[in-house]
Amino acid sequence: MSHKLDLEAVVGRFYASLYRFALSLTKNEAEANDLTQQTFFILAQRSHQIRDTSKVKCWLFTTLRREFLRALRIQSSHPHVEFRPEVHDAPSISADALRALDARAVIDALDHVEPTYRTAVELFYLSELSYKEIAHSLDIPIGTVMSRLSRGKEQLKAILAAAISENSDKIIPLKKDETAH
Amino acid sequence: MKPRTEISNESAKFVLNAYRPNGADAQDPVFRAALEQATRDPELAAWFKEQRSFDSLIVAKLAEFQPPATLYSAILAGIANRSPDLRFTIRPLLALAAVLVVSGGILFSLLMEGVSSSKMIEQYQTANLTMLNSAPAPDLDLVTANFSRTQQYLAEMKAPCIPFLPEALRNLPTVGCKTLHWNGQKFSLTCFRLPSGELLHVFVIDNRVFHSINVEDQFKEMAGWHFKCERIAGMLVMFVSRASVAEIGKYI
Repeated sequence: MSHKLDLEAVVGRFYASLYRFALSLTKNEAEANDLTQQTFFILAQRSHQIRDTSKVKCWLFTTLRREFLRALRIQSSHPHVEFRPEVHDAPSISADALRALDARAVIDALDHVEPTYRTAVELFYLSELSYKEIAHSLDIPIGTVMSRLSRGKEQLKAILAAAISENSDKIIPLKKDETAH
Repeated sequence: MKPRTEISNESAKFVLNAYRPNGADAQDPVFRAALEQATRDPELAAWFKEQRSFDSLIVAKLAEFQPPATLYSAILAGIANRSPDLRFTIRPLLALAAVLVVSGGILFSLLMEGVSSSKMIEQYQTANLTMLNSAPAPDLDLVTANFSRTQQYLAEMKAPCIPFLPEALRNLPTVGCKTLHWNGQKFSLTCFRLPSGELLHVFVIDNRVFHSINVEDQFKEMAGWHFKCERIAGMLVMFVSRASVAEIGKYI
């Protein structure tokens, strides 16, 4: 497919999912806002270079991630190290427990997946790109994408299970009224 | 009798982890063998059902994050307002090289010829206009419509911020900002979007670089650019735009 880009239609179709992906990368709403806008500005400037309009979605997510990494390099004078939990087995999580979880907890859990696997998992859930498109976006072989998705999802389940368990531990049983005999 | 399988359950799970929850991969032959295996093996079928449910729930949870209500219109407005002659686009190194050539030439002439102080400020102005005219124009370090974020970024980069901002200018959206060097001195550029669609560039450099120079605060015109300099709170602030002097005058 090769024809002129309808920018307005492209923005309308992808801006929400791009914003969510940006939010998962930056963890900051203002930065996600800027990153999403910047990605579309770059698209507007280079739209004449895009020959295959069917690849716009993949191009947008690839560009947004590249811009994020570029900004990160500028800010790299302030690195921070986070503890990431060791994951052994992927536990089973009940659908009800997952539904009850806050959306912010899910995005926080994604952030705790090891960086090696995280981006593939984020693209899988937030962009709904195919494994082939993720491979193209990250410039890695298809087999590596599958491996990262497999390991990354295991980690995500373990982290979510821990978060659910932690939430349930916070439920404090009511004390019996000992004076009411 | 147990049905014959072409791949193991572990291999099938490995492949099916990449199967999108919206079913968009149903026709992809890569998944065919694993999907067929799932129809034959109850244990794999149960795992796949649980995995798809998990994936769907994660997608639904993440979809709860809604972009700001103004984002869609802000993107469209930003795209529509971008004038093609002033896009801060690609190949920053080329543009930066142009600045360095100009700056190097200026430094050389300063050292060798001992130019007067007033020449120095003219050359600073010319260097900035040359950069704005260079093709392609340099990338901005930060692209944002939020003025506070531009100044926060410049402060983090230890570049001079705009010392004082008239109320009218404060209400204009920014395009972004950039840090630059001239004659060994770090200075900054913040770009605003005027209502006409033209950009207003504001360069800020420490006043001490030009300490003994009288600045003419009248607008000048060069190659289609209107510009003027002002000393504000220890900074030399240079305003540059292709907009009319009348329009620029409303905001500074």
